[in-house]
Amino acid sequence: MESDEALVADLARGEESALRELLRRYERPLSHFIFRHTRGQDVEDLYQETWLRVAKQAVRFDSTKRFSTWLFQIALNLCRDWHRRSVPAGDATAEPVATSDLARREAAMDAAALLANLPEAQREVVILRYYHDMTEEETASILDCPKGTVKSRMHHAMARLAALVRKEAS
Amino acid sequence: MTDDKRTESVSASDALTAHRQECDACQVGGVQSDDIVRVLSRSVVELDAPQWSARTVDQLRPVLWRRARAVWWRQVAIAVLLALVPLPLVVAYDSYFLQLLHTLVCAVVPTAFATYLVVSYAAFLVLLFATTYAAIPLILARSNGVATSAHG
Repeated sequence: MESDEALVADLARGEESALRELLRRYERPLSHFIFRHTRGQDVEDLYQETWLRVAKQAVRFDSTKRFSTWLFQIALNLCRDWHRRSVPAGDATAEPVATSDLARREAAMDAAALLANLPEAQREVVILRYYHDMTEEETASILDCPKGTVKSRMHHAMARLAALVRKEAS
Repeated sequence: MTDDKRTESVSASDALTAHRQECDACQVGGVQSDDIVRVLSRSVVELDAPQWSARTVDQLRPVLWRRARAVWWRQVAIAVLLALVPLPLVVAYDSYFLQLLHTLVCAVVPTAFATYLVVSYAAFLVLLFATTYAAIPLILARSNGVATSAHG
């Protein structure tokens, strides 16, 4: 089976089959990643924009790096831009638990509301580590921060989540 | 719970448990990773990602097509340039060979007829060269499979 990095090289030469294979491998984790970042809003747009950037920047891809890291970095940057556009200035850290009907529905049925209570930096770590099973090294690489920062964010996130879970249980 | 979700939950649980084991602060603080996993694993994401992927391919097809064409033309240019490198030598040799042939044929048949034969042969050689160079893009297209995507 061809490696992801080899497929990106093929994609850089304009091979559609390489794009199809990469999509097949990453459509599920990437779409879920975006979904959890945006709480289900504009997921398809961001998903397509991510792949558009991958296709356009494939020529400049450093094949010594992991494709998955690069892909999630692109998606993360787009999600951050999306947050900046959608969250009013000055309210970026105190994200509301339920800002829309969709969010309220999610709050009732899954963990989205719980995650929404975390600051963006901590939420990013939890999503990557918890839902995408990434190592601390990979997470640090995607977030472009030291491994220690990932560890400390994870710790703060866990403490905060534990408090929220206790609160929910009581 | 589907296999995917079960796998996701197991690996997620591992990630949090591993962090808790490594992190002194979490152990001291009595953070229960199982409780967090229980809540987070309630997250259900139902997305039609394959459909999005299909639309993404449709959207990106023109971009990929343009890139494939650009790569293909670059390969053609390189191949033609490489093929042109020995051409002066070949032309010089053929000129010498045709002159020699003309001299030899003149000894056997009248000069006008000898010239006609040699010029005809020279024309054949030129045609052969032209065909060879023209075949370069076709050979490249065939080897890359670009010809079909470019026209179909």
